[in-house]
This record gives sequence, structure tokens and C-alpha cells, in this order.
Amino acid sequence: MSNTNRWTVGFLLLSASWFAGAEVQTLTPIREAPPAPELVLRDLDGKTHRLSAYRGQVVVVNFWATWCPPCIREMPSMERAWQHLRDENVTMLAVNVGEDADTVFTFLADYPVTFPLLMDEDASVTRSWPIRGLPTTYIVDRRGRLVYQAVGGRDWDHPTLLNKILELRDAPAATTAIAH
Amino acid sequence: MQKRSSLALALLLPVATAGAGTERFVDDRTGVAGWRYTSGAIRVEVIQRLPDQTRAFFLARGFTREAADHLASRCLFQTIIRNTKADVAAGPKLGLDLSEWRALTPKAERPLLLKDQWQDQWQQRGESQAARIAFQWALFPTEQEFLPGDWNMGMTTYPVAPGEPVDIRVVWHEDGTRHSGIVEGPICGHDSMAREILQ
Repeated sequence: MSNTNRWTVGFLLLSASWFAGAEVQTLTPIREAPPAPELVLRDLDGKTHRLSAYRGQVVVVNFWATWCPPCIREMPSMERAWQHLRDENVTMLAVNVGEDADTVFTFLADYPVTFPLLMDEDASVTRSWPIRGLPTTYIVDRRGRLVYQAVGGRDWDHPTLLNKILELRDAPAATTAIAH
Repeated sequence: MQKRSSLALALLLPVATAGAGTERFVDDRTGVAGWRYTSGAIRVEVIQRLPDQTRAFFLARGFTREAADHLASRCLFQTIIRNTKADVAAGPKLGLDLSEWRALTPKAERPLLLKDQWQDQWQQRGESQAARIAFQWALFPTEQEFLPGDWNMGMTTYPVAPGEPVDIRVVWHEDGTRHSGIVEGPICGHDSMAREILQ
């Protein structure tokens, strides 16, 4: 491995691990719970996913990139969370921002996940969401509204987060607005 | 092995207190240093990036060699900003506008180089759309809000020469009240430092 590659790998691992642990696991309620912007993207298998088609389910929508250290760090916890949630009327979608399929396939060799990875190669869909940095994750309620956000990485299989997602799933559809 | 573990632990612990609120730390695996400033609900961490690291990152994102070299010759820090509070209902909300930050050297006080300025350069140089998209997300946002538990990581760029010490005046707003502090003594990564670490 060349020195340059060694540094790149080393720094990514360093960055991903440096801030590990002792992090606060929060989901921030979104005021007014606005409708989620529409999201129509293909996954790595070419299947088109339309967010509005998941109405009636809670949807976790994550925005990420392979070069983003906190995105890399949270990805395994997302997979573990998915194993808890996939049979619980919850959907998880991870939108890759600005990269191509080859890059993501290479990434999957080291970080295998089984939830859909959607490709937003020109970032045009991502721009319609209120995102400032990566990773950012939104929780969409059963009525298609943005009710929670998480800016920065999280441990998605942490009980605090799993419980909030499941509580949202169990809330009566007419009353899923989060108290502020 | 025990000696090695102790050394690693010692290197990861703060090795100096550069001033109120600022800790310096070094990672034993890469040799790069970071500076951590904590005050109230905010924690700011700036971590050295070595020129080769920056060059490799941007080349892999589709930048031309010329643009990657240009970035590698500038002062960049990997920057993490976090709202350290845990109670979302209690707050506070942190507001950040990097245009209020300043790089302080004995000679001058200068604003940071911000995302829009860079993107104008890339547009004029004809850098690819893929490169510009990656840059857009790799640099720290100019403005951002952080609720309890929120954090972000991105590069910040400073108009000082690599290797030159710089203090950074950080400004933030806590529930609308303006605060400021100084991250004291960060040093941008430079080529000779990389050679020393690799030896």
C-alpha cells in the first residue's frame, strides 16, 4: 500500500474512531412536523423507491457518503437497528449523496448492509431536504411527515433510539405530532 | 505490551492545556494533533490534516491534480462541532455562522475561507460536478444549528500558511445569546511534519 493510501485509510479509521463512545443519543423533534419532501431514487439493484409509497410505515431516511467518517461509523449500527426493525412496520432507506454505484459497491465489501441504499448521484434530491451536513437522518411518521431529525452520527441500535422509533410506529396516526 | 499500551494511553490524553478551555491531544497511530475547546454547551475540535491526506481525499473525489495540490497547500483542519447537552427539551440551541470566526496571528486577524468562495473558484476552474458536490459536503457548513446531541464534522480552511501557528476565535449563539472563545495554538499540518511522523 502506498504511503498516500496508508494515510488515507489511517485517517479515515482514526476519524471514525476518535469520537466514538460517550455520545449523546438524541432525536430532535421537528417543529410543526412538515410533510417530508418527495424522494424518488433507485437503489443499487435498479429498483425505484418512492417515499410516498411507504405511507403507513415509519421510515428512517439517512443521508450519507462513503468518505464521511461519522457516516461510516454509524452504518453498522444502522444495520443492527434494521435487524430489529425490519419486521416492525418500519422502513430504513440510506441515500448516498453524490457518489456512483461502483464506489458504494466497494464500500459494501467492508460494510455490508441489507437495507436499501439509494443513489443520488447529482445530489439533486438531497438538496430538496433541509440538510446542512452528513450524516443527517430523518424519521418520517406514518402520515409522511418529518417528525424527528438527528444531525451527526448516532448509535442507531441504542435502546433510546429504537424505542422512540417504535413508539412512533405505535402512536395513533392522527396524533403522531411530537410534543415540543 | 503493557508499556506500549501505557504509551498509547498517554499520547491520547491531553498533553497540554494551551489556555482556558483548550486541550491539545495527539493520536499515537497517525501522529496528528488536535485541539479541543469546550465552553458551555459547545465543543469545538480542530484536527490536523496532512497535505498528502488532503491531496488523496480530493483526488479520489474527482478533483484535478492541480486543484488537489492547491488544496493540499492550504491550511485545513478537520473540524467537529458538537452540542454536548443531552436534554432536547431543555436546550440550548446552538447557532453557528463561520463568517463570524477569525484566524488570529501576530500579524493579522482574518476571516476563514468559506464554502461559497471555494465553490466560485472550482466553477471558474471547470472542476467536475462530482468534485464540486463532494466539496460541498466535505467542507463544514457556513451556517448551522445544533440541538442537544447534534454534531457535525467537516473541513474548515484558514488563510494562514501550513505550519504557522494560529489562534481561532470561535463565535456561537446559545439560544440567541452571542458567545466567543479562542481555540489556542492549533498548527496546520505540513509536509515536513508528515515526513517526521513516517520516520
